[in-house]
Amino acid sequence: MKKLKNVLMLLAVSMLALLMSGCSKGSADGKTHLTFQIWDVNQRDGMQAVCDAYTEKHPDVVIEVQVTSWSEYWTKLEATAISNQMPDIFWMHTNEILKYADYGKIADLTDLYDSEDPEYYQKHFSEVSLSNVQGSDGRYYGVPKDKDTVGLVYNKEMFDAANVAYPTPDWTWDDLCEASQKIYDATGKYGYMAYGDDQLGYWNFVYQNGGYILAENNINGGFDNQATIDAMRFYMDLQKENWCPDQNYFAETSPGTAFFSEQGSMFFEGNWNILSEMNNYPNMIGKWDVAVLPKCPNPASGDGRATISNGLCYATSPTGKNYEIVKDVLRFFGSEEGQRIQGESGAAIPAYIGLESTWANVFDKFDYRLNVECFLDMFEYSVQSVNNKYRPTWKTKVTDSLLKIYSGQLSFEDGMKSMQDAINTAAEDD
Amino acid sequence: MSNNTAKASKHAKSESMWGYIMVAPTIIGLLALNIYPFLDTIKLSFSKTRPFGLYELRGIENYIQMFASAEFWRANLNTIYFCLLTVPIGIFLSLVVAVMLNTKIKGRTFFRAVFFLPMVVAPAAVAMVWKWIFNTEYGIINTILAHKVNWITDPGIVMVTCAIVAIWSAIGYDAVLLLSGLQNISKSYYEAASLDGATKVQQFFHITLPMVSPTLFVVLIMRLMSSIKVYDLIYMMIEESNPALTSAQSLMYLFYRESFVAGNRGLGSSVVIWTVALIGLVTIVQFWGQKKWVNYEV
Repeated sequence: MKKLKNVLMLLAVSMLALLMSGCSKGSADGKTHLTFQIWDVNQRDGMQAVCDAYTEKHPDVVIEVQVTSWSEYWTKLEATAISNQMPDIFWMHTNEILKYADYGKIADLTDLYDSEDPEYYQKHFSEVSLSNVQGSDGRYYGVPKDKDTVGLVYNKEMFDAANVAYPTPDWTWDDLCEASQKIYDATGKYGYMAYGDDQLGYWNFVYQNGGYILAENNINGGFDNQATIDAMRFYMDLQKENWCPDQNYFAETSPGTAFFSEQGSMFFEGNWNILSEMNNYPNMIGKWDVAVLPKCPNPASGDGRATISNGLCYATSPTGKNYEIVKDVLRFFGSEEGQRIQGESGAAIPAYIGLESTWANVFDKFDYRLNVECFLDMFEYSVQSVNNKYRPTWKTKVTDSLLKIYSGQLSFEDGMKSMQDAINTAAEDD
Repeated sequence: MSNNTAKASKHAKSESMWGYIMVAPTIIGLLALNIYPFLDTIKLSFSKTRPFGLYELRGIENYIQMFASAEFWRANLNTIYFCLLTVPIGIFLSLVVAVMLNTKIKGRTFFRAVFFLPMVVAPAAVAMVWKWIFNTEYGIINTILAHKVNWITDPGIVMVTCAIVAIWSAIGYDAVLLLSGLQNISKSYYEAASLDGATKVQQFFHITLPMVSPTLFVVLIMRLMSSIKVYDLIYMMIEESNPALTSAQSLMYLFYRESFVAGNRGLGSSVVIWTVALIGLVTIVQFWGQKKWVNYEV
């Protein structure tokens, strides 16, 4: 019996030891170990380069870049926020920033550069970039990391085959449709592929026509606005043309897949995908190029130009135990040097004004130089990505209605109404 | 004498203590991973949930909202339709397969392994492969049919497609269970029946079916439960951009979208509780109904 007791005791002690060893984050080397959580594996090297530049100057700090896939990222981050074990630094997205900011889970970084220059943010980041890092209270909850735009990707060979001139900056929606028709007639390939996507689809058309998805107060929907409705109808009707596949097709084959398997000649793409598409489809190099978005020929208001611009930021928890060091790292991430390294790695267009070309120059290494400058040209009239606190609630409902209109289960008018309802009730429910 | 009983009870005590220690890992696991979360889900279903695990009790608000939503009733219909498609056909086919695998054919072990194979493959992989088979443009089925059927995107067909995949994945497992039931049937029944001139079909309906009915009952209960709970298959087969999404949305898929995409865990929990009640009800009906057809006498 005594023996048994000893055995049990041993077991208990060893289990306790196991538990404790799991908890302690052995910093036996006397350095500060920081974790940096991101979701895009394509940017891992770029982020590592930025971290290396910092740790070179601060040898007492070690930063470990961790990648979690987008689909798991938010579940995981929310769990760490609840248990107060957030990574020291992490990427924040406009979809989620309001939630995290309003619940005090990410630190207010408005004063981050005060000792250096109280006007730092305003001097070096655009208004759109800054609104992407603001919480509901208007304060800055992240250091702007990058900014993006949406452009038109087209297949040069198909344009040549149909004897159509390549897209120019003066192109309008009419030119887009006309070229699509000609290419379809001449080659049998699809023209512009308009599918049920917001950021890479109808949002651009709505804002080009002078409409809006969210009203001025950022609470009410815009699907009852005539300009919005007209743009939506134009965009959704494109699938009725013979040169555009229908939503059934897109449910199985994304426009990107169709484009790079040479089934279609045009689609809208975010600049963040261009580099990996160059790398992933080497035998397509030279066959395609990019252009600015076609403009609306007769907008209800404005000049008919718009592109959706989103941006990520670096954020941290206000309760992290290495808060002061983390703040120093973040200051570096937002500095000219930190942003330049990011741009040169090709990861993304730096949010820092004046460094945009560092990203574009990365494309010099390919045999065919894409006209990626068009993505930079569009910042001039870019529109902030649509977002409010209730977006997670209405997003799925708006998507459902959109798909029901496409499949004919809902008339266009009823669909617009239910989308409008979804946005408005999401705010009322709170 | 009194000394003796004291000793015995001491012995019994230590024995029962060891009993508790032995079952502790399972019980603790069950309490921490099943019972506690279940109670928590009940609580959440009566609460307005907010991000980061915050919530406030609000009574039956979620249930009112749930019963008033067309989406919810649609999901119920979809789930019932899915059960009607998968359970009768699935079990019938499993029984046929089990009977065939029970006969003396060449390569019997090989066939048993083949039929069981879908069970060892991850559901995600199964769904991926089938998605390609059913692809409208390039899928092998449409190539053979020389016809462009929208297997995955037509709201009228999508559930049938999902049911085919579900049946295919479950046949092997059910057949193996039924096979074990079949092997318990003594050969002497068949010998006696064939001496009396019973045909193979008569033997099946009068000997095999009644004798295997207890196993069949277990398979039926399990298949129905998992059909009501169907989620992973539909999640993998149906993309967010699929126009047939609302026609394929099962109760558990609705729960997933409410809880984890829309972030409304309260409403999501109500859907779960409803589903649990539904499964309970169906199972009670089945236990009541089994008296009429399950034969426990050997």
